[in-house]
Amino acid sequence: MPPWAEFEPFIVSGLALGGVYALSGVGLVVLYRATGVLYLAFGAVGALGALIAWSLITKAGTPGWAGWLVCVAVAAAVTLGYGLLFGPALAKRDPLVKAVATIGLTLVLYGAMDLLWTTSGGQARSLTLPTDNGGFTVGTVQVTWTQVIALGAGVVLTVATAAFLRYSKLGTAMRAMANDREITATLGVPVRRVEAAAWLGCGVLAGVAGLLLADLVALDATTLTFLVISSLAAVLVARLRSIPLTFAAAIVVGLLHDLLTPIVALTNYRDMTPFVIAAIGLLVMSRHRVIAISREEA
Amino acid sequence: MSEGHGGAATLERARPAGVRRRLTRPQLVKWGVTTVLLLFVLLGLPQLMSLYYVDTMTQVAVYSMVAVGLGVLVGRVGLVSLGQVAVLAIGAWSAARLLFATTQPYPLILLEAGLITMVAGVAIGLPALRLRGLYLALITLMLAGGITVVLATVNFPNGGHGFLGYNGSLLHIPPIRRPSFAASDPAYYRFSVIIAILMFALVFAHIKTKPGRAWAAIRQSEPAALAAGINTTLYKLWAFALASFITGVAGGVLAGAIHYLYSIGFPTQDSITLLAVVLMGGVYSLWGAVVAALLYQFLPALLNNWGVSADWLIILFGIGVLQVLTTAPAGLADQVPRDLARLGRRLRRAAARGSRAEAP
Repeated sequence: MPPWAEFEPFIVSGLALGGVYALSGVGLVVLYRATGVLYLAFGAVGALGALIAWSLITKAGTPGWAGWLVCVAVAAAVTLGYGLLFGPALAKRDPLVKAVATIGLTLVLYGAMDLLWTTSGGQARSLTLPTDNGGFTVGTVQVTWTQVIALGAGVVLTVATAAFLRYSKLGTAMRAMANDREITATLGVPVRRVEAAAWLGCGVLAGVAGLLLADLVALDATTLTFLVISSLAAVLVARLRSIPLTFAAAIVVGLLHDLLTPIVALTNYRDMTPFVIAAIGLLVMSRHRVIAISREEA
Repeated sequence: MSEGHGGAATLERARPAGVRRRLTRPQLVKWGVTTVLLLFVLLGLPQLMSLYYVDTMTQVAVYSMVAVGLGVLVGRVGLVSLGQVAVLAIGAWSAARLLFATTQPYPLILLEAGLITMVAGVAIGLPALRLRGLYLALITLMLAGGITVVLATVNFPNGGHGFLGYNGSLLHIPPIRRPSFAASDPAYYRFSVIIAILMFALVFAHIKTKPGRAWAAIRQSEPAALAAGINTTLYKLWAFALASFITGVAGGVLAGAIHYLYSIGFPTQDSITLLAVVLMGGVYSLWGAVVAALLYQFLPALLNNWGVSADWLIILFGIGVLQVLTTAPAGLADQVPRDLARLGRRLRRAAARGSRAEAP
């Protein structure tokens, strides 16, 4: 076991990573609760936004803030577009079918990104936020503002989303739709508009997550597209439902992943963290389940 | 070989015991065409193709087995697995380990690799089958991710010693051997096609008998199947075991086909692409698995030969998944013949109208 001092920097980076996972996880849960769609293209739209922002900033000389806005806007636009186009067509299908359909979108985006921003032979791209340079030290550990923003965004968005779903009218409508879409529609809730709002919100979160992950992890289509699998772990532990649980699981995934880095025997296996946590979480929590005949769980 | 949309069609064919049914004429034609096609694929095709395409078609044979395994899970039982490439990697790993460690004949090793993978698949499937639908699909994705990480660390056997059989400091890595009777590429191609035919026959036998009917019932409604006295856990696990066995055998064939195995050859995202092509090919018919394998292995090779980026294919697969899920649930294997027939009818009608217009 290495001395404690070696773990300290990884606590900071782990919390930052956990914050972004929490942000992604909350976005996924909100969309799933409102529309029943598990949005597997979450990473891909973020990656697309980040790559477009990179092109704008490095090739066209766009100022940084405009690039970041474009990143979020692209992710939101693609997500909303997909939701409007395929949401109604698949609304009555099984959640599994809806999730697999977003794999279709993922593949389209992934292929397009690989085509336009070739990875082989090209130089490594990076998207750095100005907040990387500033920061402060806690004890001996250097903390950058980006890391603070990542964790902060995770915390703020978790609280804000939980409050939004609990207290606002739109949030109440979304919760109602999670229970039963048909009855909600009968009660006069504009179902399509509420769904569109959820798609838009999820897309914005995907853009923000893509931007932060491009800075914290790597700006690479493959990495960013499939990093969604790691945030999925947190969502799965929360059974696609609880927002506080998503947050807690995301922080645990991020922290544990980074804390395993200095341990020599386990460092190669640290990428397994989200999978192991999701597997344990799912299997333990499904121990006492009976056959569900309800529409929702079928 | 294709037989409608499972469910009703399968149940309808259950006949009283002892009644031998005679093959009807369309069925005879179908079997005749299938036999001729298989003979051509086995004997004629290797002579017509360059070695590049012979190797590609060997891969097609391998992935048609993986696809038929996934097709059983998705199309027959309604279980979606997002981890089949990881299962393929387990099969390839065990076959490679056995091939380096023993001098057993290759077909025996394929059988053993299939059985080992089956045990692994059941061990994974038993707890995972408590989950249903979306959760089951996601847990298989998580498990596949885990297996990929483990494989990247332990590596594939390369002739080293010990249980893992990997030696990182080996300068000359021996190739994984092939059976003595199928050492050349065309011979190995024929060998893989024969193994694939055997695996398809195994699946066919399952679909036509009791397990197939039980799966059809489970796919329609699990509570109803349970109420009808079907041991749903047993038959779901059986499907998992069958798919894992076939995928394990495919892994064994893959090991000999490419001689050297690396963990980067089995990334988690390939399992996702594989599900996409299997859905595109069609999960309700065995032909769908062949179509899927052609899409997955033959098309990239063709495009590569033409100098077109394979990324276009990924985009195509993505569009294909969306199209299949929204409009054509039975996939290309069902849609293309039907659309062609409709087009033929329309053309004939147009021709008839044309001749009528010209007549006076």
